[in-house]
Amino acid sequence: MFVKGVGMTKFGISDKFSHQLAYDACLEALDCADMSFNKIDAIVCSTLEWFFSIEKQRHFAGMLSSMFRTNKPIIRVPAGCAGGGHALWVANQLGYDNVLVVGVEKLMTCKSESITDEFMMAMESKWEQPEGVTAPSSAAIVAREYLNRFPDTTMDDLALIAYKNHSNGFFNPKARFYNKKVTLEDIKKSKIAASPLRVMDCSISVDGAAAAVLTKDKSDVKIIGSSLCTDRLAPFESRDLTTWEATSVSAKEAFTQAKLTPSDIDFVEIHDAFTIVELMSYEDIGFAKKGEGVKLIRDGVVNIDGRMPVNTSGGLKSKGHPPSATGLSQICEIVEQMRGEAGDRQISNTNFALAHNVGGVGGTVTCHILKKV
Amino acid sequence: MTKTIRWICEKCDKKWIHPIEKCLYCRGEIKKQVGTRLKVVGYTKVYTPCPPHPIIPYNVLILEDEYGNKMPKKTIKDYNLGDAYEDKPDASENSVAVVKIKYDFYEAVKGALELIGGIEADSNTRVLIKPNISFPGYSYMGICTNPNVISGLIQYLLGNRVKKENITIAEQSFFVPLEKTIAKSGINKVIKSFGVKFVDISKAEFEEKKEGEFAFEVSKIVNDFDLIFNVPVIKTDMLLGIDGAFENLTRFLSKKSFDELAKDPKKAVAALTLLPKVLPNFITLGDASIGMQGNGPAEYGEPGFFNLIFAARNPVVHDKIIQEVFCLRKLPYVELAGKLGIGEHDISKINVIGNELDALRRDIKQPIGSKLIKNP
Repeated sequence: MFVKGVGMTKFGISDKFSHQLAYDACLEALDCADMSFNKIDAIVCSTLEWFFSIEKQRHFAGMLSSMFRTNKPIIRVPAGCAGGGHALWVANQLGYDNVLVVGVEKLMTCKSESITDEFMMAMESKWEQPEGVTAPSSAAIVAREYLNRFPDTTMDDLALIAYKNHSNGFFNPKARFYNKKVTLEDIKKSKIAASPLRVMDCSISVDGAAAAVLTKDKSDVKIIGSSLCTDRLAPFESRDLTTWEATSVSAKEAFTQAKLTPSDIDFVEIHDAFTIVELMSYEDIGFAKKGEGVKLIRDGVVNIDGRMPVNTSGGLKSKGHPPSATGLSQICEIVEQMRGEAGDRQISNTNFALAHNVGGVGGTVTCHILKKV
Repeated sequence: MTKTIRWICEKCDKKWIHPIEKCLYCRGEIKKQVGTRLKVVGYTKVYTPCPPHPIIPYNVLILEDEYGNKMPKKTIKDYNLGDAYEDKPDASENSVAVVKIKYDFYEAVKGALELIGGIEADSNTRVLIKPNISFPGYSYMGICTNPNVISGLIQYLLGNRVKKENITIAEQSFFVPLEKTIAKSGINKVIKSFGVKFVDISKAEFEEKKEGEFAFEVSKIVNDFDLIFNVPVIKTDMLLGIDGAFENLTRFLSKKSFDELAKDPKKAVAALTLLPKVLPNFITLGDASIGMQGNGPAEYGEPGFFNLIFAARNPVVHDKIIQEVFCLRKLPYVELAGKLGIGEHDISKINVIGNELDALRRDIKQPIGSKLIKNP
């Protein structure tokens, strides 16, 4: 299918509720597609319906029906932090002519402790949660394993990834850290969240929504690869903590569909929930050999002026991470870049792009390859 | 006892961390693999708290067993890569085992009992199990002892050569017909499936025993057994603070004795502390798989999914550690029992094994009562 329009709210702290944020993103996407809602055949939405949120609102599909004043099919597909990518994958499979896809999260109504608790529910309930395995601690164990196995890579390299993404997000008006200067020193001096990861190695939780209009009618951006893979929920079950199998399988499948190889990709949006995840994903997607991902950041390959910019939007690190909206916000960035509408962060080579969205600690992964037509 | 558990297909060797009964791929039978020789192969020190893990910093270790299976483990103590991880059993009166249930109740019960030194039993050993099934309630409500815990205990006993004919479950209810509570709690299914005996304590004989200023009518059945297991479900309680090891003993008394004591809450607390003195020695196996928090069973408390098993040879240390783990306010009867020398209530002298106390501590909803709920 083609991506005809995209829209997203500003990522940050919002006074609006989930359904209102979703509505705003959808309206912007429909405007962008120059399409009336009447033409939409179905809606695929994703949200986690946070337990601790003040919203106390379940049955989000019904809520969207109220907002859209419609009886059209609305399918909700939560998938942890991969909800947006998952929704896009489902929309692409449905066979309708026109599908509206939206992901939204409203989580800035809780203390950070509660958000940590909420994210922890994506960990295994008997083996991991009671043992204090949170999202940061899980990523930290992976990071330590990676740094032990590939001692050439250091925490300073991970800091470079965070710095790159903050430098990009500085120019994204919809990013949480828009116009906010973050120095390499700030990153290196930030407190430890879960050793060896610092607070600034972790993405930031925000409210936000992102949407896309998919059509069978030809448009200027086409989805040429779309894959969804799953893996065991608990990473301690993996043979190798430093490889997330769902990412490598998903990427391989997307490249096969697109009839492309990693070297054909011009720019990428990677799920940098933690800096270590971005680094490992360079390798798992196929942009670098195992243990050599560090070269991409050290050599500036993934910088905004590099051969293959990664996270021109600022990524989850600087743009912010409203879990179910994240995957679709990556599509928003890719479409804006391909249309030359990315403003101060516009890059020049935008023919092929890849979006990589992860749920849990590699439990669900989507890869989408988009082509400028 | 910290251990890895895997369920493995005997035919195709696929492994699960979740209990299953048949392989989805080849329909092969499933065998259990339990690993106990653990070493540290990964770790992180966590500085970000959350409600279930409020004390920071804490460590998350990745432990690997002799089969190459891994599991995470929370500790406060620091470890290095390659260190061995082992729990040291302690059979003393001052030790309390706390074990997290990893789906398998038998392994949890076995682990908890082994940590406090296990049991001495043979085919002639007569065992009494006293659960809390005094109110009718499904197991998910946290009102009654979880039948899975009782099953796990019976399996453990059978594995220690105890004969099913020598195992008796006993309880009474002061408020409702016992048949109702047995049926609703699911304990009747356990009784049937294992073929063990059941006794309604209220229908057995009682004898008077004096202790301090109190005269108790105590069920005579306690004299007929070599081993007694006190298996309360851990609930918050408006009067006592918690329904733990001590409260569960009250149903070894006659209803007359119970009613007499219940008239005066202050006296009731004093009498409660003395109950262990009029009973033979027993082991407490605290069922906190699904317990209760908030105002407890009488005032719309709510289930608490604690997922823990406690085990202790002394009821004072048992209830003291429950108070500490769940950050409950002081329990007057525990303080008093401690002062009377019935057991240790000084936290610094109690040995918590299986998990570190600070790695377990978390707030649950306290029993604070309600202005709106009026009990008759």
